[in-house]
Amino acid sequence: MKVQVKAFATFREVMDSQFDLDFLQGATIRTLLEDLIERYDGVGELMFASPGTLRDFVNILKNGRNIHFLGGLDTPLDDGDVIALFPPVAGG
Amino acid sequence: MDGYAGNIVYADLSLGKVTIKPTPPDLKKQFIGGRGFGIRLLTDMVDPKIDPMSEKNVLVYASGPLTGTGIPLGSRYEVSTISPLTGAAMSANSGGVFGWKMKKAGFDAVVLSGKAKKPVYLFLDNGKAELRNAAHLWGKTTGQTTDAIMEELNDKSVRVSCIGPAGEKLVLFACIINEKTRAAGRGGVGAVMGSKNLKAIAARGDLPIKAADEAQLDLVKERVRKKIEDNGIEKALHNYGTAVLINIINENYVLPTRNFQTAHFANAENVSGETIAKTILKKPKGCYACIVQCGRVHEFDGETGEGPEYEPDWAFGPDCGIDDLKAVARANNICNEYGLDAISAPATIACLMEMAEKGYVKHPIRFGDAKGMLKLVEQIAKREDIGNELAEGSFRFATKYGHPEFSMSSKKQELPAYDPRGIQGYGLATATSVRGGDHVYGYMISPEVLGAPEKLDPYVTKGKPQWVKTFQDLTAAIDASGMCLFTSFALGAEDYADLLTATTGMKIDTAGLLKIGERIWNLQKLYNIKRGFGRKDDTLPARLLNEPLKEGAPKGQVWRRDEMLDEYYTLRGWDREGTPTQEKRKDLGLA
Ligand code: SF4
Repeated sequence: MKVQVKAFATFREVMDSQFDLDFLQGATIRTLLEDLIERYDGVGELMFASPGTLRDFVNILKNGRNIHFLGGLDTPLDDGDVIALFPPVAGG
Repeated sequence: MDGYAGNIVYADLSLGKVTIKPTPPDLKKQFIGGRGFGIRLLTDMVDPKIDPMSEKNVLVYASGPLTGTGIPLGSRYEVSTISPLTGAAMSANSGGVFGWKMKKAGFDAVVLSGKAKKPVYLFLDNGKAELRNAAHLWGKTTGQTTDAIMEELNDKSVRVSCIGPAGEKLVLFACIINEKTRAAGRGGVGAVMGSKNLKAIAARGDLPIKAADEAQLDLVKERVRKKIEDNGIEKALHNYGTAVLINIINENYVLPTRNFQTAHFANAENVSGETIAKTILKKPKGCYACIVQCGRVHEFDGETGEGPEYEPDWAFGPDCGIDDLKAVARANNICNEYGLDAISAPATIACLMEMAEKGYVKHPIRFGDAKGMLKLVEQIAKREDIGNELAEGSFRFATKYGHPEFSMSSKKQELPAYDPRGIQGYGLATATSVRGGDHVYGYMISPEVLGAPEKLDPYVTKGKPQWVKTFQDLTAAIDASGMCLFTSFALGAEDYADLLTATTGMKIDTAGLLKIGERIWNLQKLYNIKRGFGRKDDTLPARLLNEPLKEGAPKGQVWRRDEMLDEYYTLRGWDREGTPTQEKRKDLGLA
């Protein structure tokens, strides 16, 4: 299945801003992040505080919904998903 | 010493008389400073029945004890008045350097009453204050006014806070600008200044500002500096400015687009913080003592300026269906030069765009027309042609044409850059804001979208009333202290309490801090009730309650007022109409 990945702000310094990835059925957000860590240097350090724990204020959206309110890193991926990756950001 | 300058200057513009009095100890204890001072002094002095544009209105400038004490991000001052746009007692906040200079000149607050016969400006100079002729400044932009005053005083250390032509023309959402680009933006504080024939306040001075316990303050300063430096959010503010929000709010499908008709803008990337950083950004810039530096200095096509910050970027951009970054930045610069609120001006234009497209107003403007938008901004500032009607704000404009439902405002003030249909607690904070359509009187976007201090589900109403109350009270206290609200991404209530205790010598703990914030909130509320506000006003435009969002994850949702409002009133100790009970008033010393 095909998933679109979008990266924002400082994440664009270590990966492309938009690209597609292919996954097998059963893949999750965790699978996707592991894939990114292999593909791009620096992703792991920017995203994770320790293995398996995202840094504070990192936000990942699946089709506009924060994965925190879905299944966290175990949120399953579906064909056609748009996954948006945000480092800590703010404003007012 | 206690972090305060020690004096308040009262300028009676009708009499042309200036009086200086010591800052009352009880005012410090009960209201800290900034917004607290402003709302207390204003509501004490002004009869709630007055017309905000009459000479009976009062304008209060006030800094806080943490302003200008070298604490990181301790830079703010507040301007409080009865808003001619909303009719409510309100305050607008600005940064830059002016608040610090006002204190170095010897003053915690400046209270301006009456109306001058001819244009004047107030000069605060090392403990003295005098009114000076400003006839030669009338008609000048904020930049020209600032330069002219610095030149005539022949001193580059002078700092100026002034109005532009929009304030002189009494545009209901005219703002006040200091150092050419920092705005006390909302509510029409600049129109009140204009109505008093007051063009500017200039400040000069080098009087000492000392804390009660300098050694202890140094320790707490170090602690908060480290927290701010280590905080990922504060780093992002430095790298991308506030406009970094454009993409994340858009990806959450809550970025109001084309006057809130939808909440997703396909070309958002073109006006995003990332694009600003890549194209027009020259360098970041900060207010006094700021280690974050979220400001943006830009340069393009021979034009220099600052911003756009997230709100104007959204309002001139997606809300007007425009994706031309240079046009957005240009429009923002015009607002700074003429002294216009860069949220209400574009949001009023967006309202016209929708009404014109739907045939309710005969006008050639359409969504996406950047050139037409730029022309309208100038017309509003000068009150020319249709600009004269738009200068009354979107609510009065849309009502005049028989369709108030196209005004995306609350209490007649235009709403900021978030769609409450997909962020329930934020909707409650905005609807109950004592100053009308607003996001900085309790920034619920932080927990509901950005995940700080913790992630709250934005679609859920349960638990939100308590969060909103706490955020509103804490924010009122931060606004009173003189700190920039952006510290709240990294600091907690205990940090502000410790900073205030070391600076003022008053023992303030977390509970005491929140109580002061609650006191300010309730005082504002009680006064606004006397001005006719009630439960009916604690709401949002019908579109947001009745028309479901059409796209993305929050598709199908509306803003659910009824699930939250009663609980919010109960938690606040208010009755069903939203009036603070006798018991609550007594508890807060407002009986
Ligand atoms: S964070 Fe931004 S607004 Fe706040 S003090 Fe610093 S530069 Fe000014």
